[in-house]
Amino acid sequence: MRKLDAIKINDNHYQVDMRGWVCPFPKYAIEGLVKKFDKGRLDLLVDCPSATEDVPKVAQAMGCTVPEVNQIGGGEWRIVIVK
Amino acid sequence: MSDCATTQTRFATATSRWKAITNNLVYVFYVPVWRKTWPLWVGAVALALANLFMFAFARAIGVFPQMGMWGAQIYNLVGVKVDAPFTAYPLTPQHLDMHSMINFGIILGVAMAALLAEEFKIRKEHWTGYAAAAAGGVLMGFGTVIMPPCNVGGFYTATMALSLSGPLAAIGLVPGAYVGGLLMKWQARRAVEALNFGALPAGTPAAKRESSVQPCVGAAVGVALLVIALVYAAQGMVKHCGLLLFGATFGVIFQRSRLCFTSAFREILISRDGTLMKWVLFSVAIGTVGFALLKATGYQPMHYVLPVGLHTVVGGFIFGIGMSLAGGCGIGILWRSAEGYMRAWVAVLTGMMTAGAWVLIYGKHVGEGWLYGKPHSLAEYGGWFGGSAIVFAFLAVFYLFILYVEAGKREKA
Repeated sequence: MRKLDAIKINDNHYQVDMRGWVCPFPKYAIEGLVKKFDKGRLDLLVDCPSATEDVPKVAQAMGCTVPEVNQIGGGEWRIVIVK
Repeated sequence: MSDCATTQTRFATATSRWKAITNNLVYVFYVPVWRKTWPLWVGAVALALANLFMFAFARAIGVFPQMGMWGAQIYNLVGVKVDAPFTAYPLTPQHLDMHSMINFGIILGVAMAALLAEEFKIRKEHWTGYAAAAAGGVLMGFGTVIMPPCNVGGFYTATMALSLSGPLAAIGLVPGAYVGGLLMKWQARRAVEALNFGALPAGTPAAKRESSVQPCVGAAVGVALLVIALVYAAQGMVKHCGLLLFGATFGVIFQRSRLCFTSAFREILISRDGTLMKWVLFSVAIGTVGFALLKATGYQPMHYVLPVGLHTVVGGFIFGIGMSLAGGCGIGILWRSAEGYMRAWVAVLTGMMTAGAWVLIYGKHVGEGWLYGKPHSLAEYGGWFGGSAIVFAFLAVFYLFILYVEAGKREKA
């Protein structure tokens, strides 16, 4: 079974590392993550380019805001989701 | 004003004008083309036009039969005698095979575009990812010889080429991609369920890496591409040169617009979102007009008119599952290979080895024997105009089907 790599940065601020998960996994996972997640900020790390468009769309449709999508390296991005 | 001051002012004006020119060039030609994702409609129109021009030049787009030929070549290299699965793609050394030029072009074009955009990365996978890719490649390998050929060739190009098989392939591809997508969705859900936000280890956020050499490497790939094309041209192999550059054009269009056919087919039923597929249909509509006009003049009237029968639907279904699992159709896995996805490398390998073994497995080539129906051009039913009308009717029905599925999402919400 493949597990999600996640850490707690501080209270109400988490980071889920989905680098290595191809498209469309981040898009499919974000729905469940947002539901599971109480309140605060979730940083999702991805390395598939299309996730930078799909993930914010799904998160926003669920009532979250996506203040930032930053490239953090070659082919790697951080998507900040606030619930 | 002294002469010196005048010169200085002139110099300052020239510098600022030069700056304005460079800024303009960068923000009109570099940033929107090579750094930002293209709008989907740009990709859809560019794809149709590129396919039309390439058809007028030599042939239309399709990539899997060549890959099947590569697979057969490898079998022969290790001593297993087998013919290439498609008779139109006989065993030929890759560098002399004009069809393979399209595939190499796609790989180089994507690599160039991905590097220029700093989107290249060697992406390793979890073993389950490699297993899924291997299975997806095998399914696509079978799908491509049964349908035939691949998603882009068998649906996209075939439909605009007025082949009856094109619309029928879609009937298999939609549910196939759905089944593959369900498996991925299930895996994503299991991973999310296992996560407990309350019991996570503490850590520091991932750091941002500054400046990258990728754009320079991308420019170098572009130069290499041109040099290779010129070498072919200098040898008098104009078709090879042209198809290599067309392939690269397709690679750039796919990489920059992210017009992924696998996603287009999969998301209709999985997310009840047909946005991508609507643009693919729009692209087919443009292409159909051009193909019908060219074919009506007597130019390659049977090009991409493929055998049609129950095998078209069944092959489409098998191919559909495969492309979802692999993470891309024939073009999709070539494209992702060049972006550094190791998952796609596995799928390319198993896909070509499976398709390459077809003559061993089935005993005959694609299109021969009991499995396959005869090719039917829609022009048989009412000429080129009537045939195009049938394609447009099909596109309209497909569009309405998408709207119907999407309407279900609002009901659920």
